[in-house]
Order: sequence, then structure tokens, then C-alpha cells
Amino acid sequence: MIDSVQKIIPMLIIFGVLILFVVAGLLYKTRESSEYGLSGRYTGSIGGGAAIASNWMSAASFLGIAGISYLYGYLALAYVIGWTGGYVLLLVLLAGQLRRFGKFTAPDFIGERYESSLARLLSAIISILITLIYSMAQFKGIGIIFAWLLGVEYIKGVIIGAVILMAYIILSGVMGVAKSQKLQYFVLIVTFILPLMLLAYKLGYFWVLPQFGYGRAITDLSTEFGINLSSPFSHFNLFQWTALCFTLMFGTVGLPHVLSRFYTVSNIRDARWSVVWGLFFIALIYWSAPAYAVFGRLIEARNGISFPPEVSYKMADIVVLRTALLGGLPIWIVGMLAAGAVSATFFTVAGLLMTGAASVSYDIYYRILNPQASESKRMSVAKGATLFLAILVTIVSINPPGLIAEIAAVAFALAGNTIFPAFLLGIWWSGTNSHGVISGMLTGLLITFAQPLLGGYLPIVNIFFPFTASALCGAPIVILVMIVVSLFTKPPSVEIRRFLAEEVHGEVQ
Amino acid sequence: MSDSDDKFQVNLFRPKSAVMRGEVFAILTVLAVWGISVFGFQLWLALSSLPSGKSFLESFTFFNLPFHYWFTAQMLPLFFIIICVFFNLFIDRLSLRRSRKREGYND
Repeated sequence: MIDSVQKIIPMLIIFGVLILFVVAGLLYKTRESSEYGLSGRYTGSIGGGAAIASNWMSAASFLGIAGISYLYGYLALAYVIGWTGGYVLLLVLLAGQLRRFGKFTAPDFIGERYESSLARLLSAIISILITLIYSMAQFKGIGIIFAWLLGVEYIKGVIIGAVILMAYIILSGVMGVAKSQKLQYFVLIVTFILPLMLLAYKLGYFWVLPQFGYGRAITDLSTEFGINLSSPFSHFNLFQWTALCFTLMFGTVGLPHVLSRFYTVSNIRDARWSVVWGLFFIALIYWSAPAYAVFGRLIEARNGISFPPEVSYKMADIVVLRTALLGGLPIWIVGMLAAGAVSATFFTVAGLLMTGAASVSYDIYYRILNPQASESKRMSVAKGATLFLAILVTIVSINPPGLIAEIAAVAFALAGNTIFPAFLLGIWWSGTNSHGVISGMLTGLLITFAQPLLGGYLPIVNIFFPFTASALCGAPIVILVMIVVSLFTKPPSVEIRRFLAEEVHGEVQ
Repeated sequence: MSDSDDKFQVNLFRPKSAVMRGEVFAILTVLAVWGISVFGFQLWLALSSLPSGKSFLESFTFFNLPFHYWFTAQMLPLFFIIICVFFNLFIDRLSLRRSRKREGYND
């Protein structure tokens, strides 16, 4: 590989890119700020799309999909489809309606829609749990990159990466750095696609569009070395593939930091069109991600490199960087790729922590515990919560339970089993009440953690509610529970039903 | 059920106003197309497997990739974008007609 002196170049590039964002953010600084992490106004649907995409791109997109593809081939496409198809659901079912409803956070929507502090509290706790699990996946990405960069073991990589991340968040907050989402997205896409084009060129494949060029590498791998990465349902059957795919889709619609994006779009039409642009920007990355894994496998095979399964599993999440190195790309290109991965992870974690902190400071502290709290007091609670959550995530990330994409999938399963049904019925059936949503979300929590809790005693749970893919069967059950409980308990107030009928569904815009 | 219950009822499967009916028609159409494209193709792929374990969908290439792989990895995300564009165009048109009617124009 490369020695530690050479790693100074990637390190300099990473810090250079992070400084670039701070400087750009200061140049485009807006006067608006808020404790909810939603500052940074963007205009128009393309700006909104870039905001959605840069908010979405994380270690799971940048490193995780390639890692799954490297190990399991076709299974990675369940992630690709799940994480793009979910936006179709989001657009048609919620985007415009959420903008019309006009609340700041997911628990805020649930608290207001269902007129219940308990529902607000429960959804805030779930939002914090989602933040913790999803951030754990990101911290694993941070850990492996910094461990590689500094030549230290993973644990030290996580701790050093977490300290740098917190320093970046605090510095950005103190300096009032605005988010320049278009620039963020531009950097992410260039740092991901350019090295891939160079890899395709070096390996002799169609490099202008490596998204198609890697197809021949799949064929070569199969014919020359007998490695078939395109074989469908070889590692997982149709049900498992579908369950994972739909879980990720439902989870996309239920992720609090994704839903928060729609509250700040300037108008409803922009809210809808920004989803389309966001989906296009996200798809550009996902069309490309499996190519890194295919090229990685091919280079290994051509060089006679072979690992036992447990070693491959450990290395899978770093396959993007590893492939760039094995492919002989210039070290500054590898540094660029690492800078993109670090940026993607930092932006996502910043968004996640702020959403989690908003659940603490706004939904729990201000709306439930201390409604008289001043803005500065709420801000202090939000900052404290951000720090506390970051420390908590660092601790739990020291021993990550799976691959980056797998950990992220659990967060999606939780969102798909709880927040998604609450929003879906909250918008589309006025009969859903607080008893229904509380019962449903509790059922969703149980279903999400059914496999680790009950899988040993009830084998059927392992089949229908796998830890990373429980929402295909789980979300319909939760929806049914919400409907049945709502039908047998007191209906929601006339005020909220009138608001839904007249304001949210009154007219299309 | 009281009058107010009925008046302010919102139900995806029982749209009341003409505007909401149009919107729900678009939503259900997109969801049907979306569901069939995602699950339908994978089901076809699984059911069309020959005794050798391979489907004919795997046996030819398209844009350099095995067809089934190209369809899932490349075509489906593109297809999602296309159906989202159609959905938005439909809703834009619905919105325009609504605002023209409100202003007193007739199509």
C-alpha cells in the first residue's frame, strides 16, 4: 500500500476540503440561524435537490454500498433501489402535504397532528434512537478512514475522527457558517466519480461513463475467475432481498432528518420538484457505487489476492479507498476520494446530531418539560444534547455490530416501522388518533428489535422480521394496529380534522 | 357519524373534492407502477430461473451489463426519476386548472 509519509497528502486534502466548506459557508453566510439545524436557506428546486442529496449522502452511500456489493454482489442493489425508490413514496405521499402542515421536526408534527404530549415524547425518543443508530454507521466510516489515514487501530481512528468532527461542528456553529449545499454536493459527486473514471481508464474499460463501463468487468470476473457478482438471490433469497429493499424505502420516508428538509423549502411546488432533483443527484452516486466493488474484486483476482471470508468482511467497508490504491491511482486522487467520504459523513452526522438534539431541546425540553424556557436556554440544551449524543455514539461505535450499510439499515427499519406509519396515516386518514399512533409506534419498536430480543425463542421472527429488513412485514402490521386502535377509541378533535381537510388537503399547489 | 365528522373526513381511498380525486388518482397510479416495477421484475427474475439456476434475463447483456443487473441497478433509479417527473407535471397541471377556475376562467 502506501507509507505514512505519503498519507500526509490525503490528510492535507481532507483538511483543505473541510476548510473550503467553512470559508464558502462564511462567504454565503445568511443572517438566519436556528437551533433546529435547519439554517441555510436555499432557493429553487435545484438548490433544494442539492440540499436533499448532500444531506442524504453519507458513509452508507459513499462506502457502504460498495462494501455490500464487494461481499454479496446483487444484494447491494436492494440498497440502491431502496434508497432511491423511497423518494417516490416520499414525493407522492408526503412532500407537499408536509410543507403545508408546516412543523419544524418529526416529533413536532406527530405532537401537533395527534394532539398528544405522549405521542410527541415517544416519537422524540424514537428520533433520538434513529439518530444514534444511523450515526453509529457514520462513525464506523469515520473510524476506518482515520485509522487508515493515521495508521492506527480502528478504536483510535473513531475517537480521533469524532474529536475532529465535533471540532468542525462547534467551529462552524461559533462562526455561524451557513451550509452551501450546492458546493457540498458538487464536491461529493466529483470526488466520487472522477477517481472511478480514472480506475476504469487504467483497467481498460469504457471510462467516459464508468457506470456502464464496469459491466464488462462483471463479465470478465465471471468468465476469467468464476466470480459472479451479478448472480441474483445467490446469497439471499427473493423474500430477503425484497424485505430489505422495501424496508429501506419505508425507512427513507420515515427518517426525521430527511423529513425536516421539507419544512424549509420556500413553497410547495419547490418541495415537490426538489425531490425529483434530489433523487437525480442521489442516483448519480448510486449508479456508480457498485463499480468500485467490481473493479476491486477484479484487481484482487488479477493479482492473485484472496482472503478468507472473515477478513473480507472486515475489509469490505474500506473497499472504495482500497480499490483506488490497488488500482494505482495517484495519491492525491485517493486523498480526494477520502475527502469526499469524510465530507459526506461529516455533513450527515452534523444533520443527524442536530435533528436528534432538536428532539431533546425542542420536543422534550421546551414542549413538554419547560414551555417557559427562553430561546437562549433552549439553545444551550440543544448544544449540550449535541455533545452528549456525539459522545454516546462514539462509545457505541467502538465495537460496531456490522457493516456500515447494515447498521444504517437498522435505523431505516426503525424509522419504517414507527415514523413512516405515523406520518402516512397522520396525513392520509383523519381518523387516526393519539391512542392509535402510540400503540402503533410501540408495536413498531417491538417489531424492529424482535430478532435480537426474541429470535432465539421464536425462530419465525428471524424469517419475517430480520433485524435489517423488518419493515416489509412490520410497517403493515403497525398501520393495522394504528387503524384498529383508532377505530375503537375517541376520534381526533374537529379542529385537527378541519385543519387536515382544509389546510393540508384543501387544494393542490 | 356527525356532520362535522363527515365534512372533515380525509381518507386516501375516499377522496371528496375533485382536486383531491385527481391527486389521489395520480398517487395510486404512481404507487402501482412503482410497486410493479420493483417487485414485479424481481419476481419475474426468480420465477424464470431454469433448472440450471439461471434466468434467461441473465443470459444477455445490455449497455455492457447483464440485462437483469442493468435493469435493477441502472434502469429502475432512472425510472423512478421519470415517474416522479410525470407525477409533478400532473400535479402542476391540476394546480393550474384549479387556480384558473378560482379566478373565474373556464377551460
